[in-house]
Amino acid sequence: MAPPRLSGMQKQVLSLYRGFLRAARLKSADDRKQIEAVVSAEFRRNSNQVDRKNFVYIEYLLNRGKKQLDQLKSPGVVGLSSFSVGGGQR
Amino acid sequence: MSKEFKIYRWNPDDPTRKPFLQSFFLDLTDCGPMVLDALQKIKAEVDPGLTYRRSCREGICGSCAMNIDGTNTVACLEPIDPDPAKPLFITPLPHMFVIKDLVVDLTNFYQQYKSIEPWLKTKRRPEEGREYRQSPEDRKKLDGLYECILCACCTTSCPSYWWNPEEFLGPASLLHAYRWICDSRDEYTEERLQAVTERMQKLYRCRAIKNCTATCPKSLNPADAIHKMKAKHLTSVHVEKSES
Repeated sequence: MAPPRLSGMQKQVLSLYRGFLRAARLKSADDRKQIEAVVSAEFRRNSNQVDRKNFVYIEYLLNRGKKQLDQLKSPGVVGLSSFSVGGGQR
Repeated sequence: MSKEFKIYRWNPDDPTRKPFLQSFFLDLTDCGPMVLDALQKIKAEVDPGLTYRRSCREGICGSCAMNIDGTNTVACLEPIDPDPAKPLFITPLPHMFVIKDLVVDLTNFYQQYKSIEPWLKTKRRPEEGREYRQSPEDRKKLDGLYECILCACCTTSCPSYWWNPEEFLGPASLLHAYRWICDSRDEYTEERLQAVTERMQKLYRCRAIKNCTATCPKSLNPADAIHKMKAKHLTSVHVEKSES
């Protein structure tokens, strides 16, 4: 089912996902469910939409994810959410 | 007097489009002399989506560092070459993650700067509780070290930093490490030197490539500071051995 050997980039994505789930475990039960829902939805959506060969964009998402994970780890933070503003202009 | 500007563009909101060089044509008679003036004009009149960092416009903040015609400098101090036949290439700092257009991710750079502890550390209290005194000769030793504006031009021009950004501190952080080692008021000189040299990666990945000195927009000499720091370390190690 899973591919025989994961590439370095795939390993990074998976370890980021694991990091998010581990950070979520340290929060309260309700917050944990909400964080897990948002994070798994985002990862699943990106895995379907983003081209596997688009390394530039994947690295950009990984970097952004690492920063968001650092913010999530701080004790005051209770969750994450996002909303999109209008549509792309160009 | 029309000059062509080829500027690197990439938008994360449009990820399917690969990064490309977009051409802009600007009338130089109606524009300020520096590259930053040209960027401002393009952003104001042609394409407001062009993204770059800028702040002081006088070469002191280090925000507008980018690669202009192959050299890393700050855009506000780099005059535009008026030759209309050659296009001016503006790209982000090399081998850095691009956030959008000319903006790069400098968090690793700032964390490395933080890791050398760039503040005064003393073991004694100041005399009369006022300030730590320093003679003019000792203050002169800091000239050429304290002017660093942390623009990241030198660090992103170093091939050794390109290949090992997590381990090698880079010329800017090492310049600052030497600045604090050199400061006569600071009393943790040995600890600072030991912190930078305890593993081979932080300081000794420098191979004296000297790209840093060539590219510094403030004409500083990080390669020289690194060389002096290596000399300080090697001479101090020798003293320990001869005593035992």
